[in-house]
Amino acid sequence: MIAAPTPDNEAERLAALYALLILDTPREERFDRIVEFASTEFDVPIALISLIDSERQWFKSNVGLTACETGRDVSFCGHAIMRGDIMVVADAAADVRFADNPLVTASPHIRFYAGAPLITPQGHALGTLCIIDTRPRQLDDIEMAILSTLRGLVMQELQSPQGDADARAQTAG
Amino acid sequence: MPERKPQDNHVLLVEPQAMLRRTVALTARSLGMAQIHEAASIALARQILRQRPFDGAIIAVDDGDAVHDLGLLDQVRGGDSASSPHMPIAVMADNCTGEQLAQLKQRQVARVIVKPFRAKILLEALASLARQKTD
Repeated sequence: MIAAPTPDNEAERLAALYALLILDTPREERFDRIVEFASTEFDVPIALISLIDSERQWFKSNVGLTACETGRDVSFCGHAIMRGDIMVVADAAADVRFADNPLVTASPHIRFYAGAPLITPQGHALGTLCIIDTRPRQLDDIEMAILSTLRGLVMQELQSPQGDADARAQTAG
Repeated sequence: MPERKPQDNHVLLVEPQAMLRRTVALTARSLGMAQIHEAASIALARQILRQRPFDGAIIAVDDGDAVHDLGLLDQVRGGDSASSPHMPIAVMADNCTGEQLAQLKQRQVARVIVKPFRAKILLEALASLARQKTD
């Protein structure tokens, strides 16, 4: 297993994450509805908004996992925040970075992972919106674009005050 | 005369679920498939259809009951809109009996999409409507 690396801008990245005051806060419907939509849209058992803290990944929204966090070293999302585009692992069991990862060899038995990094306008990757399956698979171009769209909706919510989001939800159809 | 690009096509999407509607509209724009105009209700769509022309439409026809609301289809096909009465239309329905399918065919519906409604399926339908428009 290759442990999740640390970005060069780690200090600034963590400062940007902490400034949101979102870690360890309760679940919020505005995030849950995006994650639930992703789980249904892609027909995957697990979908997450994962935020990468210094030593852990913490799930702001979570479909399909009982844990609210895991160690950063074993996280797939820790790898995904190292790049600007979506990271797809078609079969984790056949990928040297993840084949002996405990999240692959034991519960939740990850085989497929796609993580869209949540990048602020200042370039700080805070975490990911990710979808996970227990069987190998691929995403086509339309599915990649949909995941990217959903990532954009998560970023909108991360950067807007709760009150604005509630007002939007009430006016939306 | 310059060739019309897919992203120049204007398509009306009538769908009450905000997440699905928004995801389809934003993804279609990012892929350069079409400009999606969103309507959360049939009542709103009725107004929008009179205000500007469209190259196609995807319309959810369920009204919360087992009966399909075909009023929008009749409005377009009857010429009571700013669009061509022959513009391609796809329909979303929770389910569709043989009798309902016949009603939709009578109204020249290009495609019927039944549950589960997924953004990917709607985007594929959108691409199919665009092809019909150019054929």
